[in-house]
Amino acid sequence: MSNALNMARIKKRVIMSTRVLICDDSKIARKQLARILPTDWDVEVEFAEDGQEAMDILSSSDFDILFLDLNMPVKDGYETLEALQSFEQAPAVIVVSGDVQPKAIQRVRDMGAIAFHKKPASAEELRSLLISLKLFSVDSDDLQSKVVAEQQTAAEQFTLNECLQEISNIAMGRAASVLAEMLNVFIKLPVPTVNILEVSELQMALDYSVKKDSCSAVSQGYVGSGIAFETLLIFSDSSFPNMAKLLGVTDTITRELETELLMDVSSVLVGPFMAAIGKQLNIDFSHSHPLLLGQHVKIADLINEKKATWKRTLAVEIVYEVENYQISCDLIMLFTEDSVPTLENLLSFLVEEDE
Amino acid sequence: MSNEADGMADLHWMFDMLHHIDVGLVVLDSKYRVKLWNNFMENHSGVSSSIAKEQSLLTLYPELDTGWLHQKLDNVFALKTPIFISWEQRPHFFPFKSYRPITGMANKMYQNVAIRPISSPDGSIKNICLVVYDVTDIATNKMALSAANHKLRRLSQALSK
Repeated sequence: MSNALNMARIKKRVIMSTRVLICDDSKIARKQLARILPTDWDVEVEFAEDGQEAMDILSSSDFDILFLDLNMPVKDGYETLEALQSFEQAPAVIVVSGDVQPKAIQRVRDMGAIAFHKKPASAEELRSLLISLKLFSVDSDDLQSKVVAEQQTAAEQFTLNECLQEISNIAMGRAASVLAEMLNVFIKLPVPTVNILEVSELQMALDYSVKKDSCSAVSQGYVGSGIAFETLLIFSDSSFPNMAKLLGVTDTITRELETELLMDVSSVLVGPFMAAIGKQLNIDFSHSHPLLLGQHVKIADLINEKKATWKRTLAVEIVYEVENYQISCDLIMLFTEDSVPTLENLLSFLVEEDE
Repeated sequence: MSNEADGMADLHWMFDMLHHIDVGLVVLDSKYRVKLWNNFMENHSGVSSSIAKEQSLLTLYPELDTGWLHQKLDNVFALKTPIFISWEQRPHFFPFKSYRPITGMANKMYQNVAIRPISSPDGSIKNICLVVYDVTDIATNKMALSAANHKLRRLSQALSK
């Protein structure tokens, strides 16, 4: 949709405020985006938790602008963009996502989004984006600048899971972008899951994702500011032939070559992921050299229930998939139990400081 | 003036520490020329820092797998993220001898190597750093354990027949 059309649409509503719909599965992301909209912009904001909810809202009333996340359950951003193409009164769509892979950006533009902005956006960035898209102008007639309607609902509480999911979401997008650049592929991003797990539950969760196949895993330890965790990168052994193909390796796959593939992919996925997490938490983590935890083993041998010295862990799980290749790997962050209070404290500051 | 002197003193002990730490440190520029070659590297390789400096790593070690190494180094420059090389994939990155030639179990030093980007004040990556860890003891222990397990398995199989 051209900018002129956008402008015309908004002019039409000169008396009414601009109607904005924010669609993101993360409560934090929705609130954060609503908070950074220009304060002198006369808008009426509504929220949707996933693409399906957004479609339901959009089919019953008209909106001018839709801020759309990409990775969401039920109906993701791409599916929503596709569904919107059959709409007569489709809103102007601005995609706000942590998935910064060039191919993701191109894809959403091709599907009709007028702009893309990386998450988390700042108020200034968003303001200049809206001005450049002519969706908002500073001297917009002399509409009385809207008094910030909702008083900061400071009592708004976010759970640890919600916070952790959102920062993982952003970090995951950064990591995928680096891997996508190295391999020139598109990485499918899921919604990260956050759970407190007992040892046996972790085993079950892993068993489920790796299915019956044997697997290989690399572990790396991180520690900083009272927070300690391990990252596990688990590959299903059936992924190796495709991984070799993807990395342009033509030699026969030996054990050494498999180790090489594991170490490379783990460096490239875990490094940027952790750099993004560290940046958001403002912690410069110390980390160990990655350790080859096991090759061609059963999940049960990786995490041995009987030998485990810990009882419960806070687990963040992300399943990366490479489009058109049968490669999937599980990235799991496992926080120690005693890190949880510190992490909770840190994340609560993070949410409050977001302006 | 005294601040400046303090600064120099700080720099001096910091450099002394980097130079003598028991970990190999090599800084390379984008043409793979050596910018720093610490004491660990000097002593284990027998190449002095003054000779190593400004030379390409590949001139110093023509036996290194050129294509392989270029790919690793270029990835660190391009992706701005560290890349790790484990002794399990490449046991002897640098052809060094083991630290304990008499009582040690191995003749050659097993190494873990981390290749890290070094950011300039303007945020760009003009240099990278190779950090070389001696993991000979870990590697020999792990290999011995794995060999012992293998032997036990074969014995138990033979017994059950």
